Amino acid sequence: MKTLKVFPLVIIGTAVGAIISVLLIVLRTLPVQASAEASDIDNLYIFFLGFSGVIFGIVVLFLLVSVYRFRARPNDEREGINLHGITWLEVVWTVIPFIIVVLCGAGGWWVLDRNDVEAQARSKGQVVHVLGQQYGWKYDYMTKGIELKEQQELVLPVNEPVIFEITSPDVIHSFWVPAWRLQMNATPGQTNEVSTIPTLIGEYDIICAYLCGVGHTAMNSALPDSIIPKVRVVSRADFDAWIAQQKTAAAEVAATASADTAVSSS
Amino acid sequence: MTAVLKPTLARCLWVAPAFAAIAILITVAARALVGMDPVLQESTLLTVAYIAGGIGFVVGIGGFDYWWTWMTGGELDPNDHSTHGAKSWRDYFKFNTDHKVIGIQYVVFTFIMFLVGGMFAMVFRSELARPAAQSLSPEQYNGLLSQHGVIMIFVFLVPVFAGIGNYVIPLMIGAADMAFPRLNALSFWLLPVAAFTLLTSFMFGSFDAGWTGYPTLSQQSGYGMTLYQLGVQLAGASSIATAVNFLVTIITMRAPGMTLFRMPLLVWANLATSALVVAATPFIAGAMFMAMFDREMGTHFFTIGGGGDTLVYQHIFWFYSHPAVYIMILPGFGIISEVIATHSRKPIFGYRAVAFSSAGIAILGFAVWAHHMFASGMQPWLRVPIMISTLLIAIPTGIKIFSWLGTLWGGVVRLTTANLFAVGFIFTFVIGGLSGVMVAVVPFDVSITNSYFIVAHFHYVLFGGSIMTVYAGFYHWYPKVTGRMYNELLGRWHFWITFVALNVTFFPMHYLGLLGMPRRVMDYDPQFAWMNTLISIAAFVLGASTLIFVYNMIHSARHGKLAGANPWAGLTLEWMLSSPPPTFNFPTTPRVIGGPYRYGEEGARHAIIPEAEPASVEKVGA
Repeated sequence: MKTLKVFPLVIIGTAVGAIISVLLIVLRTLPVQASAEASDIDNLYIFFLGFSGVIFGIVVLFLLVSVYRFRARPNDEREGINLHGITWLEVVWTVIPFIIVVLCGAGGWWVLDRNDVEAQARSKGQVVHVLGQQYGWKYDYMTKGIELKEQQELVLPVNEPVIFEITSPDVIHSFWVPAWRLQMNATPGQTNEVSTIPTLIGEYDIICAYLCGVGHTAMNSALPDSIIPKVRVVSRADFDAWIAQQKTAAAEVAATASADTAVSSS
Repeated sequence: MTAVLKPTLARCLWVAPAFAAIAILITVAARALVGMDPVLQESTLLTVAYIAGGIGFVVGIGGFDYWWTWMTGGELDPNDHSTHGAKSWRDYFKFNTDHKVIGIQYVVFTFIMFLVGGMFAMVFRSELARPAAQSLSPEQYNGLLSQHGVIMIFVFLVPVFAGIGNYVIPLMIGAADMAFPRLNALSFWLLPVAAFTLLTSFMFGSFDAGWTGYPTLSQQSGYGMTLYQLGVQLAGASSIATAVNFLVTIITMRAPGMTLFRMPLLVWANLATSALVVAATPFIAGAMFMAMFDREMGTHFFTIGGGGDTLVYQHIFWFYSHPAVYIMILPGFGIISEVIATHSRKPIFGYRAVAFSSAGIAILGFAVWAHHMFASGMQPWLRVPIMISTLLIAIPTGIKIFSWLGTLWGGVVRLTTANLFAVGFIFTFVIGGLSGVMVAVVPFDVSITNSYFIVAHFHYVLFGGSIMTVYAGFYHWYPKVTGRMYNELLGRWHFWITFVALNVTFFPMHYLGLLGMPRRVMDYDPQFAWMNTLISIAAFVLGASTLIFVYNMIHSARHGKLAGANPWAGLTLEWMLSSPPPTFNFPTTPRVIGGPYRYGEEGARHAIIPEAEPASVEKVGA
């Protein structure tokens, strides 16, 4: 009976797996990290790729080696070894995955908790009501002193916490900004809260991630000719300027509207 | 003339419309009698017609003939086996109580549905091959993708395993048939009704809210949405009836000597699956009923403003639909255990661990449903417990993978097509399992949920997992079912094309999702164009590879080499019978004297079939 030593193969498998892990990590393609949470989440992902590559390497190496090494020759009437199990080995391959998933769970919980704690600290942040509807987004700035309603565009100051209160008047949408690693459904009948800190000035895509009807595809600012404006993160000064500009515009609209009413009623 | 009165498809052609017409008449007449507008809305009449017509179809095919005769005091011969077993191909189009005939009916019908569902995917993959909208309207696109999901899940993957189990399990446990043969036939004949209901929804404005059919979008959809809700209920009813049948069969009808730990692992897997089906499927039936009542009767279970809540639907839906994932993979695990042990000539490594891990997955499977809802706005405290239970389920799954590796190691591995699919399955399923661990972790999940990363993950699990096991099972038991060998060369071509094309189709989707391509869209950021083109080409190759399989199966059934009783030298009971097995399976009750995987043991046997006088065999068979 030809048997190979198992331990060297585990070592080789781990090495091959490590190479796969490194490749996966080096070749990972992620959007730019534009929020305070992004790096934590990406580090989780790198950790996943790390152990996934090793497990995949070991499994596939054993698969290929057993299929090649123990292959049947033509008209081979031999039988395999009559081995029904090795208890310690089964314990090992129960415990190791257990440790890995505990690490995953702990990591996930830690990141989640950190974000939750930060979210509480952000209670003084900018509050923005997000209305996802068929087929577009509307933003109400609720913070005292700003109070700007029904904006088509989401503009935020950099490095300042923001709390999104998300809802929908019609069907489920999902507010997804991949650069912030953030997604939350806009569910009709309830308000879902989620918060973040944008850390990078720039323009980012906002995508509706939940199928919401015939216009779902178009609710994606990444499409060419999209009518959905990208999310803009700007400096505090630019933000203040934008607010002032929007307020003037809103006042003008209101003035024209009341003038129209006055004209039509006279 | 008599053909339209006997239980045949010809009788269905008039009974089903008659039932539909009577139901419409009763509805209209009842409303007219109490002085209301006789036809309030056409959709109500259509719903009534579909329900009554579906029952009419099952009546027409003969699903209730025996019970009706019994109930009305007619004469019945308990030894009348005229509906049992197939003598010609025509018998496969009739109500038949033989588990082997039903198994073939299931497998062929569901595989045709697989091809139909695959076609839908081809159509929308051609739309996705280039950026910007081309040939399809958004309505058509959303309809096709919803149909693809529903057909694949409810009339292919769930029932195909019921079909394989139907054929193999009574043979494996040494039984003459399933416990309730008439119920068994009835469950099968509900499936064409379900498929008809789902597919004809195209005529009335297809359902277009994805396979999940979440309200409130489902309340806006065309009438097809009601047919989706109806069709899923029908498929669910079929599934529950089959599961009850499996449970009773496996628990009560095992041959003497077949203790729990002498059961083949496919039987273990089906026992766990059936328990899961019986406990979970009523939840989706409930969700579908409530959603249908909302649409057709103006109730307010899930409507906003009427006191309803859309999140409730998601909870109830996933309380079934996550266990459904295990319903679609556990029997596949069972198949892999059979295939790997038999073709590698080695006992399953850690039999009890594999058996218990099926049970463990079935139990844990009930505590993970909300991981589909991390971004739904559900109660925040639910996230961490669900994440932990979801991660834990990776452990029993891992045990199975390692046990199969341990089984291959030190065996004499025959790379038949069946075993190739089993080995290929381990490769692809590990990828799906590892990405499953990733998406279980809440912060990572909310960064990519509803994106192509999820599409990649569940296609690796369902195609790289379930469908690979289905193919392994098809090739493994093909000689038993047809009595002939399939063509190994074509089988190998089928495997390699499928394996390569499936990886090229689904692996790049991970990257698309991470970079920000949402699922269920018909257009995307132009920077994803080349990857989508690659995926579409690979998907067409994947679709074409099934043609090799279909040709091989059909051609070999007539022209293949004769297989003999036991071409793989398997030890389990089905290999002790002729191929195909006689109508009533075993001439005498077999006795099980050892475990099912005693490979490599000199002269070892799993069971013996006591000698019977040939005359008595003839009598039972006639």
